[in-house]
Amino acid sequence: MKELLKSGYVAVDLATAFDASPNAYVLLTPDLRIAGVNQAYLDITHSSREEINGQPLFGAFDSGPSQDGAENVRQVAASLEKAIATKARDHLAVVKFHIERQRPDGAVFYDERYWSATHTPILDDEGEVIYVLQHTSDITELERLRRGGEGATPTALDGVLGGDVMRRANLVQQDNLRLESERRRLVDLIMQTPGFVALLAGPDHVFEMHNEAYGQLVGHRSLLGKPMRDALPEIGETYFDLLDSVFETGETYEGRASRIQLQRQPNGEAEEAFLNFTYQPVRDSSGQTVGVFVQGYEVTENVLSAQRQKLMIDELNHRVKNTLATVQSIAIQSARSHADPRTFATEFQSRLMALSHTHDLLTRSHWEGADLRDVLHHETEAHDLRRINMNGPLVALTPATALSLGMIFHELATNAAKHGALSRAEGRIFIDWTVTEAEPRLLNISWSEVGGPEITAPEHRGFGSRLIERNVRHDMAGDLKLGYPSTGLHAELVIPLDRGQTS
Amino acid sequence: MTNPLNGRSILIVEDESLVAMLLETILEDMGCATVGPISNIDDALKLLADDVALDGALLDVNVAGREVFPVAAELKARGVPFVFSTGYGEGGLPGDWRGHAVIQKPFTEAAVRDALIKALEA
Repeated sequence: MKELLKSGYVAVDLATAFDASPNAYVLLTPDLRIAGVNQAYLDITHSSREEINGQPLFGAFDSGPSQDGAENVRQVAASLEKAIATKARDHLAVVKFHIERQRPDGAVFYDERYWSATHTPILDDEGEVIYVLQHTSDITELERLRRGGEGATPTALDGVLGGDVMRRANLVQQDNLRLESERRRLVDLIMQTPGFVALLAGPDHVFEMHNEAYGQLVGHRSLLGKPMRDALPEIGETYFDLLDSVFETGETYEGRASRIQLQRQPNGEAEEAFLNFTYQPVRDSSGQTVGVFVQGYEVTENVLSAQRQKLMIDELNHRVKNTLATVQSIAIQSARSHADPRTFATEFQSRLMALSHTHDLLTRSHWEGADLRDVLHHETEAHDLRRINMNGPLVALTPATALSLGMIFHELATNAAKHGALSRAEGRIFIDWTVTEAEPRLLNISWSEVGGPEITAPEHRGFGSRLIERNVRHDMAGDLKLGYPSTGLHAELVIPLDRGQTS
Repeated sequence: MTNPLNGRSILIVEDESLVAMLLETILEDMGCATVGPISNIDDALKLLADDVALDGALLDVNVAGREVFPVAAELKARGVPFVFSTGYGEGGLPGDWRGHAVIQKPFTEAAVRDALIKALEA
């Protein structure tokens, strides 16, 4: 037939035959405009070629303003659209459709007619729909007969036709309408469901339908009619192979928190996502697999939050173990410098409390850091704060630096209370600090004690001074000068502030 | 009974000074000469590049936010035995180093000694 149509002179004969047929035909474009009609069609619709050629079908024929006019149009349109979408013939056994007529006096009225119609899609070489052919028959007389006639006495044959054939046709049509409305309801449910759904046809997994959620998942790209490999190339061979395998074996595949690359924005980069999904085979009446039904939902947020939680628990565990090792070190080294268990307990506890105070400060800021003055305040508040003069700007410390400085200030203050300025009523401590403006920024801290007893440099360094020295040089990569003028201890600390945060 | 650790040079890589001081104390008690402690990866690699004589090493896995494995690889290439120390638990070592000697924080003196002796004798 296609070959016949291609040869020009046969087409002329076909056009003549088309026009001469007693069956009414109208040829429609896929956007439902009238591309051509034959004479029989013009006769039964009481229209002329000039009026309707090129017009939208439902512009030329709108079934009138009556209440059921819009429903009549919807039924015909639905059948046409189904024929175009499925590329298969669709039948409308009975449909009411009003035709605009003119009385002899010129008044317009709508004639209620009953029709039976067949919609046949016509495909081009690529298999795309180029036309839909509507073949329609006016069955009004049969329908009226069925309903008891309007004056005319039915013959026996009319009775058979009207009573049985028409009744059955009507039942079929009612069934069709019911099925169609159920189908539409199901499709609506699928389209609106929050999970993503798609139907893939054939061995190449061509998108036949998908819902809104699926469209959103893949950045609203145009998918219908395209094979999966062309439509979503970024998802990769693993998933294509899975689809092939479901299609070939007919076995359902279930994916749990399955990692996938997807382009989520139009023309965007592929992004990592995690999906729970199933690929289910779709079978025809003979049990042959003809497609794959895809459904699922995104679990990216759940997967990422579970990963974050695991990281946090690991990190917490690491910190706890490190802190325990620190406490172990304080215990063992404090024990070595105390023969008496009671003095050991006092010193060990006060060091533990110093560590704990800085932890409290850091917890308040969710371990983002602490201010230098707050750290100083916490570690010296056990003493008379009126005798400690603090002077300097706000300085944000990283958690690691805050912990180190907390330990250092604790050791200095404890030493001052035992042997230095705070051991005498008139003693004072001046703590001054500045931060250099040039990068990398350096924090300079000066700790000066006055008014205490006369001091001399210690003969050997105890745990306290080793702890200070190590914290400054080792943990903070800083510098330390300890001076022992007879008037009181003088400590100068230089701490780089912009090192990476240590664990 | 001779002490197999007596006089051995042991490198310590550990960013937490209190933990490093504890290790020094433990190692010195066992008669070792400690090298370091070193608080970051770059300094540790620099030290190895200078061909310092070492009999063994104790490596904290997470050093100032970085993993110690480049240092471990360098030691392995030089045939210097070493033991990891970690607060991350048994699962803290990645695939390449799984099964390597490791001590868990906090550690006992005996755990450090036994792990080092085993590593040095292997």
